[in-house]
This record gives sequence, C-alpha cells and structure tokens, in this order.
Amino acid sequence: MISFLRELWLFFLRDLFIAKSYRSPFVMEVVQALFGTATFYYVARFVESPQLRQSLPQAGGYFAFALVGFVFLDYLNAALDTFDRSLEEARDSGTLEHLLVTQTSLPAILAGSALYPFVATTLRIAVYVVWGALFFGFPLHSANWFAVFLVLIVSLLAFSGLGIFSASYLLLFKRGNPAKWFLLGISSIVGGMLFPVSILPDWLQFIARLNPITYALDAMRASLLGSIHLRDILHPLAILLLFAAILLPLSMFAFAAALRRTKSTGTLAHR
Amino acid sequence: MPVSAISLESLTKFFPPARTGFRAFLQPFERPSLPALQNISFELRDAESIALLGANGAGKSTLLRILATLLLPTSGRATIAGHDAVSSPRAVRRSLGYHAGSDQGFYARLTARENLLFFGRLNRLSTSAARDRVSQFAAQFELAESLDRQVRTLSSGTIQRLSLARALLHSPRVLLLDEPTRSLDAIAAASFRHFLKSHVLRPGKTSLLFASHSLAEIELLADRVAVLQHGRLIALDTPAALQRQSSASTLEEAFFRLTGHPHESPAPELRS
Repeated sequence: MISFLRELWLFFLRDLFIAKSYRSPFVMEVVQALFGTATFYYVARFVESPQLRQSLPQAGGYFAFALVGFVFLDYLNAALDTFDRSLEEARDSGTLEHLLVTQTSLPAILAGSALYPFVATTLRIAVYVVWGALFFGFPLHSANWFAVFLVLIVSLLAFSGLGIFSASYLLLFKRGNPAKWFLLGISSIVGGMLFPVSILPDWLQFIARLNPITYALDAMRASLLGSIHLRDILHPLAILLLFAAILLPLSMFAFAAALRRTKSTGTLAHR
Repeated sequence: MPVSAISLESLTKFFPPARTGFRAFLQPFERPSLPALQNISFELRDAESIALLGANGAGKSTLLRILATLLLPTSGRATIAGHDAVSSPRAVRRSLGYHAGSDQGFYARLTARENLLFFGRLNRLSTSAARDRVSQFAAQFELAESLDRQVRTLSSGTIQRLSLARALLHSPRVLLLDEPTRSLDAIAAASFRHFLKSHVLRPGKTSLLFASHSLAEIELLADRVAVLQHGRLIALDTPAALQRQSSASTLEEAFFRLTGHPHESPAPELRS
C-alpha cells in the first residue's frame, strides 16, 4: 500500500512539474473561471423568480444551484477525459511503453496518471466557488466542508470507473469514444446540472437515478448549500460508493483485458 | 544449474492482418494469421552478448518486444532470469532494461534528471539510490551538462545515452536494445558503441540482446549473432564461425550467403 501511494506521488510530481513548465494556462483558467461565474450570475438574475426559488432544493437561489451543477459536471468530464487523455499523451510521446516496462503495476499507472488532473479540476471548481463567493454572493456560510470533501472523494471513485472504461475503449479502438460523449450528453440533461431532476418526466427521472452524477450533484449541493449534517447525505454517498464498488473493478478488468488484447495484436503503440 | 539470462523455447508470434474501412472497427478482434516469429529457440548466457541480424520485417523487434513484455507470444515460451514473460511479467521487468533506440519516450518538458529519477523510482529504487545512480551515470555517460536541461532541448545522441542510462538505472541482469544507434550520425554511433562496450559489457554483469542493421556494431559488441529471416532463426553462432560456415571473408558476406541475397546487391538497410 505504501509503495502504491509512493508511486501515485511520483506521478503527481511528474505532472506537477510538467504543468509548472507551462505558466500561462493557470492564470488564464483563473480568469476564465471569473468570466464563467459572472455569466451564471447574470443568467440567474435574469431568470430568478420567487417560484423558481421555491422549486430549488437548497438556499442560495438559482445562481448557486446552477454554478454547482456546472462546475461539478466539469468533474465528471475530467474523470471521463483524464484516463484516455493521459493514455493518448503517453502513447503519442512514446512514454507508454517505457512506463509499461517498469516494475510499476497497471493500477498505479492508471491512478497515478489521473491524480494531478483530478487535483487540478478540484482546484478549478474551488476557483469558481471562490469567485462566486467574493463577487456574486455565493453562500458559503452554510457549507459543511468535511461533507464536501467526502463527496468529492467518493464521486471521484465512482466517476473513475467510467473514465477507465473510456480508456479501455481508446486502447482498443485508438480514437474517439462515443460512450463518453453519450454519457456527458445524458448527464447534462438528466444529471440535474441546470435544473432540478424533479421537473423531468418520470421516465427521465428513472434514467437520472441510474447516473452517478445525479447523486453526486445532490450530495454536493446539500453539502455546500444545505446546512446539513453528514448523516443527511449518507444515502447518495452510499449509492456513489456502490457505483464505485461495481465500476472500478469492472473497469480495471476491462482495461487489463484491452491491454492484453493490444499486446496480442501488437497495436499497443499504434495511433 | 545456473539459470540462463534469456531462454526461448519454440517462440512463435502471429499478427492479425491490418484492416481498413468499416472492418477496421473489428481490428482488435481479428484472428492472428500473419507469421512474425516461428519456432525461435536459443539461450543467452550470463554476461553474453547476442546480436539479432536480419532484414526489415525479419522479426527482430517483435522478439525484443515479447521479451520486454510489450507483446504476447502466440505460442512457445520466453523466460528472462528464469521468469516467464507471460505469467510473471513483473518479475521479468525487474530483471531487464529496455531501450527502443528512438529519441522518444521521455517527458519533453521535464529535465533529463527529472526523467531519470521518475523512471528509476518506478523501478523500485529509493530516492537516495536513484539520485546516486543518476549522478554516477551522469559522469559515466557524459550527461552531466545535460542533466538539468529539458529533454526537448537535447540532441538525439544525448537522448540515446539518456535512454541507455534509464534502461540501466536499476542494474538489470539483461539489457534489450532495439537498433540503439538508429537515429545517430556516424560519429555519435561509434562513440555510443564504444561506450556500450566499455561501460556495460566489459564489467561482465549484464547480458545483452540487441537488434542492429550495422555490421560494425555487431562485430564490436556481439559474442554471437542470431540471423533471422522471415521470422525464422536460420543461424546462430559467433561471427567467425558464421563466416567459416558460409566460406565468407566478412560478416556481411556471410549474412548474404546465409539469407540467399546476392552479395553484389545488398539490401539497402544493411549497407553499413
């Protein structure tokens, strides 16, 4: 376990040093987050009404609701994107084969390659929330920070399984991933990003309940905006953990099988 | 009985045919039907050096990649330091260093030192051991001045030496090199070969299996030469014995006679 964590740290440092060698993107992302937050604020002001406020599950109005939904979908996007982007970069730079001939295990290579992008996405989410709080009245006084942290970790585990499935597809078929775009498309409709799931027809609500983003968003909004105790989000957390318990081993199995197949067909380094 | 550095028993590899158009979607599931290696059997002894010699497509890289655990054989068995390449790949990777001969495979935005430390530590070296080895190799491999520069700013020759240093960082028992001087000019290639001879082979702790098109390289570095043709091993002996067997005055001539090429019109890739 210690050796596994040590390897994760090595990958994190690798990506941190690479990111440090490009300086401007960080500044640009911080500024971009400000523009994004401002856009949500003014859209919220435009559509805000007492009826809309009443239909939202937490305090903070539509601005807080939509901002959390938007930035958290970014988290799902990062999870779906991170594994195959790392894989693609490693394949294109020729480092993939050199990683695979080290004594590091496959789970460590996968998890390690995802660690920095997840931390960076978490920071990006934090920047959005900080801009919202500083300039646009995003309510942080009712946040339960421990619950926020737990929701982030558990969501990350649940989403990672989907991301590793996505990387398995890339390993086999080399380009694109229709499953990823389908899942993101579905999540933006039924995940509860910009409107509550409760306004959807029953059959779409049923689909929403099969998607981990729905539970992650419920739990995150409750933790940030709902003045809750940890026990109030045990249900979505348990479901997210269930998603993780099913998806992670299955996706690791799929990735190992895809890797075995590419080693058999000789297409590991093919683009 | 001492365990061979490498042992190959009837190693065979088939690849699936490449598909285009809509059938490309089914490529990962194609049945392997194109032979790349057929019934290869030989042993590499401790501290021995064997060169793989053959025209393009003879199966040299395929063999090295199976040993590096990057490819799975279709049948047969390959062991490194007694560990099976298919059933114990991690144990195999502990015993080998692999250098693919290209100037890729590093993180271009990291320095040479950061790259070496990263790969060294992934090969189970402690931080201090990795630092010590990097410093030692920097002096030995004439990398000291390049160590703190980003890899993207280094020349091909320097990256080749860096790649060799990476392959040797964890003191592997077996070194696999795939055309190690492919992208080097004549002077850098000669310097690299002499370096390999004096720093890697002469201490007698490392066994070497390498593929090359350069006969000068093979004559300098190889104890024995394995001649491959269309995926088959057609000869394996010392350079002198291969010349004797084929009544040739040079290794080049011996190669052409063994493979049935007319000596007057050598395959272009074998003009060294």
